[in-house]
Amino acid sequence: MTAARVLLALALGSSLAAAQDFSRTKQDWISFHPPEPVEIHRGSSTSIELGFRIASGLHINSHLPRQEYLKKTELNLDPPTDIVIEKVRYPAGEDQSFPFAPEEKLSVYSGDFSIAVLVRPLKTVLPAKYAIHGVLKYQACDKAVCYPPKQLPLSFEVQILKNPGGEKRRNPAQSPHAHPSG
Amino acid sequence: MKRDPVILIIVAVVISLMLVFGIQKTRHQSSRQTSGSKLQGQLAPDFALPSLEGRTLKLSDFRGKAVLLNFWATWCEPCKVEMPWFVELQSKYGPQGLQVLGVAMDDSGSKEIAEFSRKMGVNYPILIGKDAVGDQYGGIPYLPSSFYIGRDGKVIDRIFGLVSRSDIEADIQKALGPTGQVAEK
Repeated sequence: MTAARVLLALALGSSLAAAQDFSRTKQDWISFHPPEPVEIHRGSSTSIELGFRIASGLHINSHLPRQEYLKKTELNLDPPTDIVIEKVRYPAGEDQSFPFAPEEKLSVYSGDFSIAVLVRPLKTVLPAKYAIHGVLKYQACDKAVCYPPKQLPLSFEVQILKNPGGEKRRNPAQSPHAHPSG
Repeated sequence: MKRDPVILIIVAVVISLMLVFGIQKTRHQSSRQTSGSKLQGQLAPDFALPSLEGRTLKLSDFRGKAVLLNFWATWCEPCKVEMPWFVELQSKYGPQGLQVLGVAMDDSGSKEIAEFSRKMGVNYPILIGKDAVGDQYGGIPYLPSSFYIGRDGKVIDRIFGLVSRSDIEADIQKALGPTGQVAEK
């Protein structure tokens, strides 16, 4: 019975903490779920899925909104030198109409969505773990109001591995965000 | 009676989840309701902002008129729904002393705002907004946000988010007051 009480207290305590945390993160409207560090061989390209979750009841414009004045969702990445972002692939928006304009379709993301980035480390990069930083620019609305455009800072890690074929030069990646950690 | 710890934990989790969503929902709603509410019955803060025509307009220039002060942006879809209503209502109630004022809280340039306003057929002044003016009005965390100001310069009502045309018209009539109703006859 004592064990049950302890568990009960733990459950209540953790949920209250979660309530506070949920409220805080709601202010960002979107949360980012960084993937586990992805292993990439030097000189080869790898696609990495970056997962995002939009707060319940909200939507954001897709990367290709139908109306010219709407703010598109855009991911800007700032990789270390010699790590190249070859492509950013956005998901197609979902055509939805909303109570404020039922006759109009908007191209939006809601709930969970992911953006794929194609990363290619050059052959000159020292094998190590690197952080790639960036921002997701978005603008959220609900059924009746729109919130000002926001930027969500994010980062994820990649583990650069030696190319099985071997290379001649081994320059470490330079700034702006090189964090080789072995 | 012996209580099953598993059932107790399930009950605790359910209650906890209800607390989480209850707290979140309450905060979300109350933030909408309280922002700017202190202004009701108070003199609307005066400001001076540039218009799309390049003039500087002050709110106090319109003392004696009922003012619908509408904060909006080109990227705000619900704002676009209201604008044609404001155009109609300005035409209908303008002779009785209504003045709609649009404040664009936009990061677009005035050229884009002007083009957007022209496409929407706006027949009332559009001012280029500043965060400082929004702060004077209790902060404008979302759009559209509208303040209804009486002829005496006092805030009669503030509405956050899109509401129906009839709600807007009712607030306009309140702002115009008895003088407006007499003039209508």
